[in-house]
Amino acid sequence: MITAPGEVDGRRVRVGCDVVEVEDVQHTLATFGDRYLRKVFTAGEINDCRGSNRLHRLAARFAAKEAVIKAFAEPDMSFPWHEIEVTRDGPLPLLRLSGTLAERAQHRGWLSSSLSLSHADCHAMAVVVVVCSPTESE
Amino acid sequence: MQDRIRNVLTAHGRMAVDPREVDDQADLYELGLTSHASVDVMLALEDAFDVEFPDEVLKKSTFASVHNIAQVVEDLVKTSV
Repeated sequence: MITAPGEVDGRRVRVGCDVVEVEDVQHTLATFGDRYLRKVFTAGEINDCRGSNRLHRLAARFAAKEAVIKAFAEPDMSFPWHEIEVTRDGPLPLLRLSGTLAERAQHRGWLSSSLSLSHADCHAMAVVVVVCSPTESE
Repeated sequence: MQDRIRNVLTAHGRMAVDPREVDDQADLYELGLTSHASVDVMLALEDAFDVEFPDEVLKKSTFASVHNIAQVVEDLVKTSV
């Protein structure tokens, strides 16, 4: 929903966030089933979303992918969903980029990221904060 | 092709307006298409045109208008023959 480039201690900061209706995930899963899951989520994400609150977890991960795309702030950039993965370190969600998006992030000077996920009954959301080097490498 | 795309948008876009009545250059995101609904649209387009959207066309701009969708689908149909 927003992307707000800024600077902290000489380092650029990028922010992205997104909110997803849980009902939308439920609807898509009911319509397209595993094809939807395989298209958007990694095997690890699908595994992490098993059990209770499955729809909310999937919705939060989709929101995280969108938040990352917004942090890049390049509307015409391709966004392979599998290259944006939410992993976990205990209770903490972590962001892992791979492939072309990882290369793009490196070129843009992305140094580290922090990811926060949340959900209520009807919505899930994600916020990504990225600390970047003072200048881009491209 | 645009009529079939508009039918897919009507069935899966979950938009606030009738996609069959919007200009082909109109911004679909402005008209209520969400990022998540664009996934539904993409999967339904794959079914309708028997194509697969590769990573390189998964861009915001691909789903920004009926015109843009038609251009991408037309290219995918050509390359899948």
